[in-house]
Amino acid sequence: MTALELLSWINRILFVVLFIAVGWRAIRQPTRSNVNTAILFGGIGLAVLGALISDVAAFDPPWLPGVLIALLNACPWAMLRLVDDFRGSPRWVQLGGTVTFVAIAALSLLLFERFPQLVELVTIAWFLVVGGYAAVAFARASGRSRGLTRWRMAAVAVGAYLFIATIVVVFAAEFLPAIVAIVGPLAQVLALAAVVAFFIGFAPPAWLRRAWREPNLRSFLEHSVHLSGVVDDRELVLELQRAAADTLGATGASLGLADAEGVTMRYIGVDGTFGSYPAYAFIGGRAFSTQKRLIVTDAAASDPENAAAYISWNARAVIAVPVTAEDRRLGVLIAYGDRAPIFVEDDLWLVQLLADQTAVILEARRMAREASELRAREETTLLKEEFLSAAAHDLRTPLTVLLGQAELLERRLQRDPSSAIDPAGIVRIAREARRLRDLVSDLLEAQRLEDVGPSVDREPADIRELVRASMDRYGYDGAQFKPALPDEPILVRMDPVRLEQILDNLLENAIKYASSAAPTEVRAWEENGEARIAVIDHGMGIPSTERALVFERFVRASNAQARSDTGLGLGLYICRRIIEGHGGRIWADETPGGGSTFNVSLPTEVLPQPVDDSPAGDIPLSPAAGASPDG
Amino acid sequence: MVEIRVLVVDDEPDIRATVAEMLEIEGYSVDEAANGADALRAIERHAPDVILLDMRMPVLDGWGFAAELNARHLEIPIVVMTAARDAARWAAEIAASASLSKPFGLDDLIRTVGEVRGAA
Repeated sequence: MTALELLSWINRILFVVLFIAVGWRAIRQPTRSNVNTAILFGGIGLAVLGALISDVAAFDPPWLPGVLIALLNACPWAMLRLVDDFRGSPRWVQLGGTVTFVAIAALSLLLFERFPQLVELVTIAWFLVVGGYAAVAFARASGRSRGLTRWRMAAVAVGAYLFIATIVVVFAAEFLPAIVAIVGPLAQVLALAAVVAFFIGFAPPAWLRRAWREPNLRSFLEHSVHLSGVVDDRELVLELQRAAADTLGATGASLGLADAEGVTMRYIGVDGTFGSYPAYAFIGGRAFSTQKRLIVTDAAASDPENAAAYISWNARAVIAVPVTAEDRRLGVLIAYGDRAPIFVEDDLWLVQLLADQTAVILEARRMAREASELRAREETTLLKEEFLSAAAHDLRTPLTVLLGQAELLERRLQRDPSSAIDPAGIVRIAREARRLRDLVSDLLEAQRLEDVGPSVDREPADIRELVRASMDRYGYDGAQFKPALPDEPILVRMDPVRLEQILDNLLENAIKYASSAAPTEVRAWEENGEARIAVIDHGMGIPSTERALVFERFVRASNAQARSDTGLGLGLYICRRIIEGHGGRIWADETPGGGSTFNVSLPTEVLPQPVDDSPAGDIPLSPAAGASPDG
Repeated sequence: MVEIRVLVVDDEPDIRATVAEMLEIEGYSVDEAANGADALRAIERHAPDVILLDMRMPVLDGWGFAAELNARHLEIPIVVMTAARDAARWAAEIAASASLSKPFGLDDLIRTVGEVRGAA
């Protein structure tokens, strides 16, 4: 046996084996595309089988070649039908294809014996036209598809080009007898390659589908680990939909998120925003309500009520799988394709895998969210505890004096009812009682600011007058403060009681923490439409890392804490809240040469403060999503 | 009768004065200091029998003062008095004889000082 003969035998056997494989598949799953694939391979397979029998059995009646050519003519016809299955084609193309097939088959059966060359020419032209049409159609389909489907369409396109090449080689041999010697093997190799490519594209074996999907599936799984950290629902859903569609090679995928009660389902519509629908609506809703996986090959026919929506989504074939964690119904994952054959049987399994993975991501996210809510609650509790403990601590100092002085008075009166009252003791009682009152109102003020924010009650006030009044209250002697105030009044729209509270706080701090060696400078001026106040001390200063923190609740600079037992860490917090409530700012700097500078800026003009947070005139657009075909 | 001297160390003048008066009415002799450094100077002048010590003070705090006392091998019983929750723990840290949580009354003060004085 020559090498050429061996090749020829291998070729024939392969044709027959592939025909049997494809035929068996069409019998098991008689879908239109499976049947058409079987016809494509059957045309070739039967022709090869016929020629084989005639060779071996020396059975060579004159009508046999005509029958074999008629059988081969079924191949282009089946290919046209497959283009329609996978990509869609105009009706006249299908009709024309069928008419041409019948005509050429009749021609070869009736006229081959008399006009063999005419029949051969017509057949070759028919093969070339259909082969070219299919090659271009499948190449374009490949460009438009994703994942697995992209590879399948590419394989078919390659098969169609090889098919054309085979025909061209055979055709050339008719007119160039010089190349006949090499035509046989070349044509056989080309034909075999074409058939293998068709097989891979139209009926890929499971292992090949898995191999093609592997990169997308791997990227989905790797990516999904990070998806639970995506905070935005919309972003998460879009990511999952994209990943699922890529992995499946589907036209698109849609993830519906059910509410906690399972009454409504949210989908992202064509406008990119969430729309709410009844949980049972659409094919996805059907899968969700029944908790069953669904494959639908003609969505519009299966759910006529929403036919327009499916058409607008380009969704003909739909796979819907419920997304469920344990007994929690989270939603539904839907993959759709413009053509039914892009899905194969084990896609259902794959969508299930993706749905399970999606459930894991959603659950991880829910748990992370719950954990952070719990943490926030714990922090609030801790803050309240700290508040109580700090409050209790600071109330104890004046209470010690009050209790001690009161018991002293009591003891003295017990011993001698006519004893004179100790004036120094009374002064202390009064002073510490006032201090207690201030502490209590600070605490209540801080709590109120936390609960409702500062009250904004504005009257015009001259900052200079308020600074002078505050200095009078805290400056026990003239040397303690050094004011620098302009001649012109600085008017701000602000409750003077509030502004006084701020100035008192700042000056009190300066006395508490500043050195007595250099007086604290108090400046006020106007700059760029802002009233500015600066309290510049030359004391111990605030460590640079803590400068922004001292305006927080219960925070005291570490060096202040070491220096004095008393102080709630509320004064600067109250200042900041009030100032910010009036559209201003407060911040601390280092005084050159050491010490702290507290800066305040307040708007001098009346600012339209947003009291009402609801956006005026911002009417939300109608939530109508992709339910209308004109969208 | 031997006069018992108590040194009251606290940065709050009103507390200092009140505690001093409470002790004096019961017959103690009292010195005052506004912080740890002040207290060390007071001890140099006149060694007390008991020290009432606030912990958080400027210049030299209660811990620093106790360490100084130790370094000078002066074994004077200390009563920690603080408004913080950790009175007992702080007392243990500096090996004080007792602790008083602010606010405390006249009876608590006299009893504690008496006990510490009696044990010494």
